[in-house]
Amino acid sequence: MDVDEAQARMREIQRIMETATLFTLLPGAAAVVGGLLVFLGCGASYWLLNSLDFADIMRLSIPGRAALCLMWFAIAIASVAVNVLFTARLAARQQIALNPRPAQVAMFSMTPCLVVAAVLTFQFLVNWESREIRYITPVWMLLYGTGVYTAGLFSIRAPRVLGLAFLLTGIVALLYFPDYGVISAGVSFGLLHVLFGAYVLTKQRQVVTP
Amino acid sequence: MSAPMNEPIKPGDIDGVIHERARLSIVSALAVTAQLSFNELKSMLGLTDGNLSVHARTLEEAGYIVVEKSFQGRRPHTAMRLTPRGRKAFARYLETLRQIVEQGSRKGQDFP
Repeated sequence: MDVDEAQARMREIQRIMETATLFTLLPGAAAVVGGLLVFLGCGASYWLLNSLDFADIMRLSIPGRAALCLMWFAIAIASVAVNVLFTARLAARQQIALNPRPAQVAMFSMTPCLVVAAVLTFQFLVNWESREIRYITPVWMLLYGTGVYTAGLFSIRAPRVLGLAFLLTGIVALLYFPDYGVISAGVSFGLLHVLFGAYVLTKQRQVVTP
Repeated sequence: MSAPMNEPIKPGDIDGVIHERARLSIVSALAVTAQLSFNELKSMLGLTDGNLSVHARTLEEAGYIVVEKSFQGRRPHTAMRLTPRGRKAFARYLETLRQIVEQGSRKGQDFP
């Protein structure tokens, strides 16, 4: 065996170990919690807007708009925090070193999509007269789905399937239900995350001994 | 067994059971997980049913992995995990690779 082959094998071993680690550390419980938080957010949005269309945010007072935006921002932060906590707990339970590289790969794959979604959200909110804010849910579904699918290319199949599900439901929501953003958010960020989390939890119980 | 640091690596120093690419992939995946199912390993490593079965059997015969067959409801379920012996063999193999790279970069030399 020459040096090049030895180095190639070491890289291959590292890649496989990272993929396997990603599988073991997929935080299914965090996805379920995140999905449930989104259900709560959708309920609160409907209560605030008295409508299923996020474009009706412009009928709210300035404090009402701020409250709605802050609530969704808080849900996003809480979901990320729960993911980090549950992943660290899974790593400790499995006695696996929390390898930062898979996490970095996932983060780098997601970041451009989420930045684009945030920029578009800002643009929608600034140009509120055009009511383009009604597209906020499909836009987030499509860009989040793209990010998850890309991150899933470095992992097992389940995240890729979740990304594809977001893309498909996002297309349907954009083309046919742009005025039902609250429901689209509940179905995608809520239900899809709960289903994904339940699937991962089931698979991990089947194949990984705690 | 891996060679001491100052001796060149010989063909016999490389563990032939682990050295095969598919078997190395199986052992690498099992090294960072408590255990994995047959289907997860198959999809993770891109192996066919037949390929994975053959290589898993070779690893099992060498005492490097344990293959546990059970039923989940009516469906058969096969899980694999690395044995302490397999973990040691994997660590030795990694050390051999490290020595090859180290010695090669020192001498600019290939190994048989």
